[in-house]
Amino acid sequence: MTLQHVGKNVPRVDAVRKVTGEAVFVADIVLPRMLRAKVLRAGIPHGRILSVDTSKAESMPGVKKVVTGQGCGMLFGTCLWDQPPLAVDKVRHAGEPVAVVLAETENQAAAAVREIKVEYEELPFVLDPVEAAAPGAPLIHEKNGSYRRVEYVVHPIPGSNVFHRYKLRKGNELDGFAKADVTVEEEFEFPISSHAAIEPHGAICRFGADGGIEIWASNQAPFVLRDVLADMFGIPAAKVRVHIPYLGGGFGGKSDICIEPMVAYAASFVPGYAVKLVLTRSEVFTGSLVGRGMKGRMRIGAKLDGTFTALKAQMYFADGAYGDTGWPVDTVAGHNCTGPYEFPNVTVDVYGVYTNSPNVGAYRGYGHPEGQLMSSRLIDMLARKLDMTPAEIMRKNFLSEGRKNALGQTIKKSNGDLSGCLDAVEKALAEDPLPANGERYLYGSGIASMMKSPKMAANAASTCHVQINADGTAFVNLAGIEMGQGVQTVFAQMAAEALQIPMEKIRIYSEVDTQFSPWEWQTVASMQTYRGGRAIQDACGAILATAKETAAKVWNCAPALIEYRNGVCIHPNTGATFSLGALSRGFMAPDGLTVGAPLSATGWYRVPEITEPDPETGMGNAAGSWTFGAQGCTLRVDRQTGEVKILHFASAFDVGRAINPATARGQVTGGVVQGMGAALMEKILFTEEGVAKNVNFPAYKIPRLHNAPEKQTVVLLETPNEEGPWSAKPMAEHPIVAVAPTILNALRDATGVEFTKLPVTPEKILEALKTGKEGI
Amino acid sequence: MRVLNITVNGIPRTVPLEEGRVMLSSVLRESLGLTGTKVGCGTGQCGSCTVVMDGKAVTSCTVPAEKAEGTNVLTIEALSEGGVLHPIQQAFVEAGAIQCGFCTPGLVMRLYALFTENPDAGDEAITSALDKHLCRCTGYETIVAAAHLAKKKMRGE
Repeated sequence: MTLQHVGKNVPRVDAVRKVTGEAVFVADIVLPRMLRAKVLRAGIPHGRILSVDTSKAESMPGVKKVVTGQGCGMLFGTCLWDQPPLAVDKVRHAGEPVAVVLAETENQAAAAVREIKVEYEELPFVLDPVEAAAPGAPLIHEKNGSYRRVEYVVHPIPGSNVFHRYKLRKGNELDGFAKADVTVEEEFEFPISSHAAIEPHGAICRFGADGGIEIWASNQAPFVLRDVLADMFGIPAAKVRVHIPYLGGGFGGKSDICIEPMVAYAASFVPGYAVKLVLTRSEVFTGSLVGRGMKGRMRIGAKLDGTFTALKAQMYFADGAYGDTGWPVDTVAGHNCTGPYEFPNVTVDVYGVYTNSPNVGAYRGYGHPEGQLMSSRLIDMLARKLDMTPAEIMRKNFLSEGRKNALGQTIKKSNGDLSGCLDAVEKALAEDPLPANGERYLYGSGIASMMKSPKMAANAASTCHVQINADGTAFVNLAGIEMGQGVQTVFAQMAAEALQIPMEKIRIYSEVDTQFSPWEWQTVASMQTYRGGRAIQDACGAILATAKETAAKVWNCAPALIEYRNGVCIHPNTGATFSLGALSRGFMAPDGLTVGAPLSATGWYRVPEITEPDPETGMGNAAGSWTFGAQGCTLRVDRQTGEVKILHFASAFDVGRAINPATARGQVTGGVVQGMGAALMEKILFTEEGVAKNVNFPAYKIPRLHNAPEKQTVVLLETPNEEGPWSAKPMAEHPIVAVAPTILNALRDATGVEFTKLPVTPEKILEALKTGKEGI
Repeated sequence: MRVLNITVNGIPRTVPLEEGRVMLSSVLRESLGLTGTKVGCGTGQCGSCTVVMDGKAVTSCTVPAEKAEGTNVLTIEALSEGGVLHPIQQAFVEAGAIQCGFCTPGLVMRLYALFTENPDAGDEAITSALDKHLCRCTGYETIVAAAHLAKKKMRGE
């Protein structure tokens, strides 16, 4: 049957609410009896708290309560419980919260924060992850190794700052490099960066007289948040209710638990009051979560014909003061640093390291951009050594039917068409040949290929509830969070397709509320279209089965003989019909006698047979899906200013099926520009004293319109597969993964300089043009 | 207590101001409940809080309340008063220029000021107006398209 809704560029279902200012974000919410919170942050990167004097602050106008961490015995986490909601005896990074003032207005709270006196014994600090992992580094957590943790997945080295070690061993590294004719090796850096979603993080929390907790938060993981708060306060999850309004961008920065435990802890001192905190932009940099922070080294060996023989990599992540949000990123970076290629022999060691900087958490791409920056740049270097093109080397080694990835999983044809993606990118770039270098400008082009697999808990699933109303409309309820990616729109398209009814008849529940929403693991890993879509199909399938059963009872025939088409059940012989609406509450005869179940059903989907990686080899069925792609660009370097202009950026991804090609394109164009920021502009800098310094715009530069590529080409390939709903696969984080290496490969082409450290700013380019090599 | 006399979306208002620094954005959001105006950075860099003050686009998070005394301010809520989308809003919907939507009201108000002052604003003026805003979702492609579509719609083309 021809698809009616899937594959169409339908307008977003949330567009009108957002363009009128009607869409509600957490900062817009006002509750009765609401106090405003302001936070005192450490201001020093590492120190022992000697005393906290809140007496003056407490007597300030409007102040209801000043909360400190003194005496707090709570640690929160999901797999590693190492973080208190407020600093207790030590501060471990300059943005760590030390006290929270609750007052009637923000101004009053801010004034009182300034009157809190804290005495510290300053301790030596460390920001660099390699230095922090070395013996003799200042110890950030004396208790590293003895914190409660999920032992199968988090592997600390006690007595050091390494709170997580992941190792991958496939084949035999020594044999692999012995077989190599050529090797390339380099060190790389992907600095600490901010997601810079335009909406700052916020939360409002209220403890009720019944001991229950209610919280409104800008968070991508409501059910995780519910369970973390229940665990932290030692109350049943049934007593915690989480509301999630619209999110003003996430990019992973709101997927981990960050400010909510602090807000809840403060609110616990003023039961009956709602406590609202919205971070300032500076606090988003210093006191929420940051991304990346990788220093690494990689070596690739290849035969003269370009066939890879081995890969060896080490990565150190400056994961910040606390480790619960960083360790899984580290593991995933290890899984996927090989990129979309087969390496018969792989040795990877990843270290998640405590550093005196903000906590690293999920950031679009989740470890893939960090690891694949290295492999994609090295392939470019290898090509010159072998006198081949990078594309020839890529094609020789692409993951394809029957080949095995680094985790030992066998790739099927339906997993995607890497060669097709690369062809599409090369074809697009060939449309605009590069001008010759001139007096003012240097020109270059570069390409890189990518893969991304979702990292998830092995039991991660989506559930969906569908209910049909008497007028034939359908309520569709899932807990996927709308944060800009368009999840509500594709949910509506898929539900309309599955039920074969018009889009206007579908209502997607727009506010997620753990009291009413069916359970969902969390909105991460680009899984909502894919996993949520399968849950929708499952629930809608159950609705149609029930409708047929009811119709069969009325018509006294076998349900299997009844055809369902465009919203109606059709009698096998007479052609008589029952609409979904007519069957919605069972079928009621004129005398009132009713048969059949109401049309209300749940459905679910879990990516099957996922396991955590084997602790010894690091291998296993840890990923259940892959999306493959390739990217390429042409760019221009201004010799006088060092400015880079991307002339044409081309991306191709095998998405299986684009449920909504326009919103899918929006994911790509946005991801490319965000990745361009990482490549050329973005890095959180620290002062000599260890305090983050460029903590607002424009000191921290993210791309504006004038920075964006002059032209973007987006090609979406659709290789049929058995996994996704109507073949659709994950496609959201993916456009960022290969952007930085694509641009750096093009910069090499333009300037002859091998850049390996992000960001490549105009200053760095000018210096490199003078010296012929990358500076520090 | 200090007060601010200001006309917002056509209605004269007298708003009490609390002690300390109070910005126009918080008058609009906190005192008047006009939460369509968003605050993303507090320093006028992201443009999300843009409103139209006496015909000019301003970032309301950097306008001290007292500087707004006696002014006439339009916010996003005014554009669809009565439930009909303004052509600029319609253009954003049609061009698919909205993702998370947090930067959207500010962009719409910036273009409202631009096209009201100069319906023939050229490409350069449009680019320069949009360049005052940060969007982390779209990569700007659809926003540029929406701006050009809005211009056409406002000129009745």
